[in-house]
Amino acid sequence: MSNSENAGGNRWLIGVVVILLIALCGAVCVGGGVLYFLMQPGENPLSRTTPLPGATPGQRAAPTARPPATGGKPILRLPGGTDPRTLDPAQVNDTNAGEYVAEIFSGLVTLDKDLKVVPDIAEKWEVSDDRKTYTFYLRKEVKFHDGRAVTAQDFKYSIERVANPATLSPTAENYLGDIVGVKEKLNRKAAEVSGVQVVDDYTLKITIDAPKSYFLAKLTFPTACVVDKNNVERGGRTWTDKPNGTGPFKLKEYVRGQRIILAKNENYYGEIKPKLDEVQFILAGGSAMTMYENGDLESVYVTISDIERVSDPSSPLNKELYIGPSLSTGFIVFNARKPPFDDPKVRQAFAYAIDRQKVIDVVYRKMPLTAVTILPPGMPGYADPANPITYDPAKAKQLLAESKYAGKLPDITWTTIGAGGSAAQNVQVMVGMLKDNLGARVSIQQTDDASFFNTIDDPAKNPYQMFDVGWAADYVDPQNFLDILFRSSSTQNWASYSNPEVDKLLDQAAVERDNAARFKLYQQAEQLILADAPVIPFSHSREYWLTKPYVKGMIHPAMIIPRLKYVSIER
Amino acid sequence: MGAFVIRRLLWLPVLLFFISLITFGLGIYGPGDPIQVLLGLRANPETIERLRREYGFDQPFHIQYLNYVTNALQGNFGYSLVKYRDQPVGALIAHALPVTIQLNLVAIFLGLTIGVPLGLLAGLKRDTWIDLIIRGLVIAGISLPIIFLNPVLTFIFSRRHDFVLAAANIKFSIGPLLPMVQGYWDGIFSSKVLLPAFVESLGVIAVLTRQMRAGMIEVLSEDYIRTARAKGLRERIVVVRHAMRNALIPIATILGLMIGGLVAGSFLVENWFGVPGVGALAFDALFSRDYYITMALVLLIAVAYVLSNLLVDLTYGLLDPRIRKA
Repeated sequence: MSNSENAGGNRWLIGVVVILLIALCGAVCVGGGVLYFLMQPGENPLSRTTPLPGATPGQRAAPTARPPATGGKPILRLPGGTDPRTLDPAQVNDTNAGEYVAEIFSGLVTLDKDLKVVPDIAEKWEVSDDRKTYTFYLRKEVKFHDGRAVTAQDFKYSIERVANPATLSPTAENYLGDIVGVKEKLNRKAAEVSGVQVVDDYTLKITIDAPKSYFLAKLTFPTACVVDKNNVERGGRTWTDKPNGTGPFKLKEYVRGQRIILAKNENYYGEIKPKLDEVQFILAGGSAMTMYENGDLESVYVTISDIERVSDPSSPLNKELYIGPSLSTGFIVFNARKPPFDDPKVRQAFAYAIDRQKVIDVVYRKMPLTAVTILPPGMPGYADPANPITYDPAKAKQLLAESKYAGKLPDITWTTIGAGGSAAQNVQVMVGMLKDNLGARVSIQQTDDASFFNTIDDPAKNPYQMFDVGWAADYVDPQNFLDILFRSSSTQNWASYSNPEVDKLLDQAAVERDNAARFKLYQQAEQLILADAPVIPFSHSREYWLTKPYVKGMIHPAMIIPRLKYVSIER
Repeated sequence: MGAFVIRRLLWLPVLLFFISLITFGLGIYGPGDPIQVLLGLRANPETIERLRREYGFDQPFHIQYLNYVTNALQGNFGYSLVKYRDQPVGALIAHALPVTIQLNLVAIFLGLTIGVPLGLLAGLKRDTWIDLIIRGLVIAGISLPIIFLNPVLTFIFSRRHDFVLAAANIKFSIGPLLPMVQGYWDGIFSSKVLLPAFVESLGVIAVLTRQMRAGMIEVLSEDYIRTARAKGLRERIVVVRHAMRNALIPIATILGLMIGGLVAGSFLVENWFGVPGVGALAFDALFSRDYYITMALVLLIAVAYVLSNLLVDLTYGLLDPRIRKA
């Protein structure tokens, strides 16, 4: 074989092959680029139920799973998303894990479908005159999944366990910190929680440090659920592999990264008994929509990539669509400690310069509601504002001209969670509006969520000038938004907002007995805050779910509540 | 020989010390911390302070490091802080490691069965159009980023594609070949393994093809091949018995080095295709600042590489006594 001859004779061939290869690569790149664009039609950082492929770091963008057919049995199959962080009530602090824990465990009180606090294991309770002592009377027929009866001692044990520093509960202060003695025990200053007393087997007395109208609402969170001492102590740190709860469903099987199967608790004490034999959560995320359309799921969340065809009234899917509120608000936050946002006029000017409606219509395809209030619709105390800040470029320019930064607006950095070459579309669009309407030079800085949370954690030292965050209700009370985010002494007062008048109203509301009067006070506080524009309320995200017509009673509440007991399958 | 192995193994703890020190330092002094990720926006300063104290994160660096090392030497690599809260790190890795090893073995197997014959062919047909096409494909294969290949493959296999031949009035459709992209990880004997293994094998194919081609070209120019041909041996015997065998030796070395890589999973491939392996676990751990998982994985991968390099050196030593003394 003569190499030189071959090379020479095939020189034309080399050219052709090279050109062909370049053409092939070019075609693949262009075609791939188009596909890639189609497959990532934007993401909604304010929504918590849209796992798009590669959308968020840490979310496994797996293709879909094909669960076993149900064979006509009353089995519900739902998309499970990623693995829950934990199934331990003392450790739950996110909705993903909360969904399972709320079905497996239960506590003294719970939320009904309308998100009202209702009796659960406690059939009734009394509140003392100083409104600091709650006496709970427990139902007598409540049993753990293994058949052991639940008594007041079990509740005492469960609260002591959360307050035990060795439990390392991330929610102890937030949800049980009002109980006298919990913080002392957490900080190793007491061996026992003095505020929890067992009166008899079925009577439990809880004392809190000050009258708090939202205390019962906090007890609906998993942190306050009852756990079985034997189960916890024998199981060690991984006791939730076989949790012994009291809820309407029990854990039948959990294969990490694959599936979580809940089975009906035949001995459930509640009035509404579970009707489904099994609920299968298919983990591994991905295009759950395909599975739903193939009949492999009974219900599925809708992502922004499918929203248009699902919303089309002529689509058969449209009849299966549910849209509901999710009790959350996305905010653009101005740091009042950082120029130019120490001047309220600049903040107001920015608020008037952003056409929120347009961003929601175009970038989010109208999925969330445009926000003009801090409280989301559906929250008690929600009211339409008297004179909301709406898009008004002329007024924005005028406000900026009146501010002390007129004509000398410094460069501004907007920090947002994200990674990659292009920042979230919504932020880019809004930065463009600020430039067009005010001539503001705003640059975008992206950061990962670990660094972001770490930075905004201490409002006094937070270097970010402006940033965007979402806040979802922990419990259904306006206190959860207004007091926590805008009281000047609050550690989650990201805007470093300080208004003595607002603080006074919040103080009054905290001790007001009458709910109507209380909500009125919160409304007044909200009006004052909105006028000062420490934040721009941007959007209220909504739940979009498709459910097969043969599934009855499916609900998608804005809060984590035990909801699967309402569901039945009627073919 | 024994002294050589012992001398090399004595370096291992020194290496692990530096690797663990750097990784630990990056975890502690890098931006963000696991408590903050765990608590998210609901971070209550009292809670942050308490959890830091209880976990010992408020201790000076050297105390934290010593505590970690002491526990690790006793086989306790800690518990997941965020992502799989309270699960022992050892158990999480024991769950993920076999998956990654299996996937990588399939990838290497694919790489061998595709790469070696391609390289052989390219070497034999040097500078012909066959060689050109093979080399072009290899370059294309390693140049296409995984982050681009993954969605394209998913698109191809998860959808139905309709084709129309207008002239013949024929309509036909292909797919969706769902089993390949649907279903959670089912082990390596399901079709689910094909796409991730294929993507991961591209690098292996490229390396092996190029090595095999170069080896063949080199060996074919050796004198003994000319002698063999001159003896009148059939070309097949010359190629298979004399040339190919010698060209395969460097391939064995490369494979030896790949053994260390077996335990390291690909972030991009495992995450995209939902393979619950080491890469996916490391990705989760890194983004949620789950220190202890990251530490254990880094150490594991370091040990694997050190041992596989040692293994390769040992085989050299067996082949060449000069290296043993060096």
